[in-house]
Amino acid sequence: MNWDHFIYFAIGSVLLWVIASVLAFKSKKKIAPTLLTLAGLIIFFSFILALWQSLERPPLRTMGETRLWYSFFLPVAGLITYQRWGYKWILSFSTILSTVFIIVNIVKPDIHNKVLMPALQSPWFAPHVIIYMFSYAILGAVTLVAIYYIIREKKISDKNKIMNMTDNLVYVGTAFITMGMLMGAIWAKAAWGHYWSWDPKETWAAATWLGYLLYIHYRLRGRSTNKNSMVLLLFAFLLLQMCWYGVNYLPSAKGSVHAYSTN
Amino acid sequence: MKSNSRKIWEKPWDYAEGFIVAAGIAIAGFLLQFSLGTIIPSEFGFPINILIGALFIVGLLCCHFFFKNTHIIKWLSSIRATIPSLVVLLVIVIILGLTPQFSAYEHDAHLPNNLFKKLGWYQMVNSWAFILLSFYMLAILGFSTLRMTTKPNSWRSIGFYLNHLGLFIAYFAGIIGSADMQRLTMNVKEGQVEWRASDLLGEVHELPIAIELDTFKIEEYLPKLVVIDTHTGKILPEGRPDSYMYEGDGKTTNLAGYDVEVLEYMPSVAVIQDSTSSNVVPFYMDGASVALRVRVTSPTMTTPVEGWVSNGSYMFPYQVLYINEDVSVAMPIQEVKKYTSHVKVFTEGGKQTETTIEVNKPFTTGDWIIYQYSYDDAMGKYSKISVFELVRDPWLKVVYTGIFMLLAGSLFLFVVGPKKQKK
Ligand code: HEM
Repeated sequence: MNWDHFIYFAIGSVLLWVIASVLAFKSKKKIAPTLLTLAGLIIFFSFILALWQSLERPPLRTMGETRLWYSFFLPVAGLITYQRWGYKWILSFSTILSTVFIIVNIVKPDIHNKVLMPALQSPWFAPHVIIYMFSYAILGAVTLVAIYYIIREKKISDKNKIMNMTDNLVYVGTAFITMGMLMGAIWAKAAWGHYWSWDPKETWAAATWLGYLLYIHYRLRGRSTNKNSMVLLLFAFLLLQMCWYGVNYLPSAKGSVHAYSTN
Repeated sequence: MKSNSRKIWEKPWDYAEGFIVAAGIAIAGFLLQFSLGTIIPSEFGFPINILIGALFIVGLLCCHFFFKNTHIIKWLSSIRATIPSLVVLLVIVIILGLTPQFSAYEHDAHLPNNLFKKLGWYQMVNSWAFILLSFYMLAILGFSTLRMTTKPNSWRSIGFYLNHLGLFIAYFAGIIGSADMQRLTMNVKEGQVEWRASDLLGEVHELPIAIELDTFKIEEYLPKLVVIDTHTGKILPEGRPDSYMYEGDGKTTNLAGYDVEVLEYMPSVAVIQDSTSSNVVPFYMDGASVALRVRVTSPTMTTPVEGWVSNGSYMFPYQVLYINEDVSVAMPIQEVKKYTSHVKVFTEGGKQTETTIEVNKPFTTGDWIIYQYSYDDAMGKYSKISVFELVRDPWLKVVYTGIFMLLAGSLFLFVVGPKKQKK
């Protein structure tokens, strides 16, 4: 099993997710969209497992591999949101976003590579990255909501509903980036001798975290405006991009202990 | 503080005052940096850091208990001071993320000599602006947590306390504790005992622990093949370098348009080169290198090319196989899978422990944690030297208390979610 087989699994999953998204609008009951999304997720996850098996290490090291998890967690996040708060459109959102990342991975797969350097051979590695990918998926979804809100503010009738949803999603996303970050700290202590070294990746993780904390606190006051809150979310997501892959292009990040994707 | 604009410092203070105060603190920090230079953590080690920390905590508590109804303490425990302090801290963190960073102990001449250096931007976490702002944020965090105790609490508040107190503890202990942290490296030769280690400045310290290295072993991944541009040494295809890890004799792979078939794998060889040819013979001693015999074919080649490829060692040269004048098959240095030191650790009390130390599997004894750090690069897998890093951080337990409170707090954030807002 390798990246050449990915496209078949991807087509199967995306088809199921598209049908689920359409049904979410059509039917009152949540059961059919839920089951279809789940089926797509199972197909997608079996590819991840098979890749894991053939690489003999968790597929979490290269950018392509983290994109794989991201494409997986977007529908997971969509499904949880759909189940918990019943937003019909969220499944379409997560399907579109996930498909974009799937296409990137088909066009630009990462090279089959078994190597996992000693520092990454840790029980914290998988939960740390997986939790981060899950939170990135949630925060990606909330960013789309923010863009939607900023563009169409005047036409939205129930603004409170959308703000409540954004709050809900940001709390979940922030909870998970906090966990991912702290697990990273505990792992760093075991691997590099210190829990926090202000390495570029860590620094941008802190910046991202501060961005979402700002949103949470800003929203606590009645005087905050919806528009400003949404703009803050866009900004926080930019910080997140820097943390995720932007650091790879920073001159200041040369020699970062977190730059693994070089060959 | 005075201002001719009456509106700005008028009570109750809001975001605007918050930004002025927070930015003022940052600017004061930059000015201090000009005159005092970078903060050297070790100069604030025990007992100075305890003293500063205790003063800070007692100060917070006194301000809270005696002045909590004053306007300024109310403001300092509110969102109106919080948001600006977080924004200014975020700006500092972004600058930190954009400028290359150096250790506080780095030789001054190694830093770029410009205004940023004078402001402390190249050693941001040890700069006055960063430290002062951190304490300002800690004060707000502390006051808001103390303020919460005076309000009616519900079970929701547990999340608030875990997050805010947890962050306070972790961040406070992290900063205060960095002054007491020691990081030393120790080189130990196989068969020898070592108790001296050097710090970042190269100063040698005698430690209450000694390490005897019984054996040091490196496990490597299987060798890889690549096709390179002979003139530049770059791996092909350009921009998307491809490689193949050995999977068994008789397997064929395609690299940069060439079919490369692996005919034979020899894990322990000597490469003998003379002026005209080179030869590969079995060799079972230190210094042996790895070799693969491959056959290369492609539609554009009239005859296949066959020969040995090796990545060499400290004893033998590497060996590439020329496909034509411009392109050849090469074997990069193998990646390390695992390095393990079998050691005996002796402590002052006369205790002796036999253990293995690996990356990600450090050994803890008393206040010290011993990490596998490095080895003799030039010797590669035949290194007879293991390099350890010894870290002492007496504040670690406190920081971890904060981290686990924050972890629990984030679960609360997830499960409980936001307060429903009615507008
Ligand atoms: C771990 C990071 C943090 C998280 C997850 C967090 C989360 C929260 C939440 C959820 C609330 C609402 C509490 C409630 O009403 O139940 C809150 C309130 C507050 N937070 Fe934070 N916060 C964090 C860090 C900070 C920091 C760094 C500061 C100050 C520098 C701060 C200052 C405040 C203040 C002043 C309030 C208002 C308390 C009130 O209701 O009067 N927080 N925070």
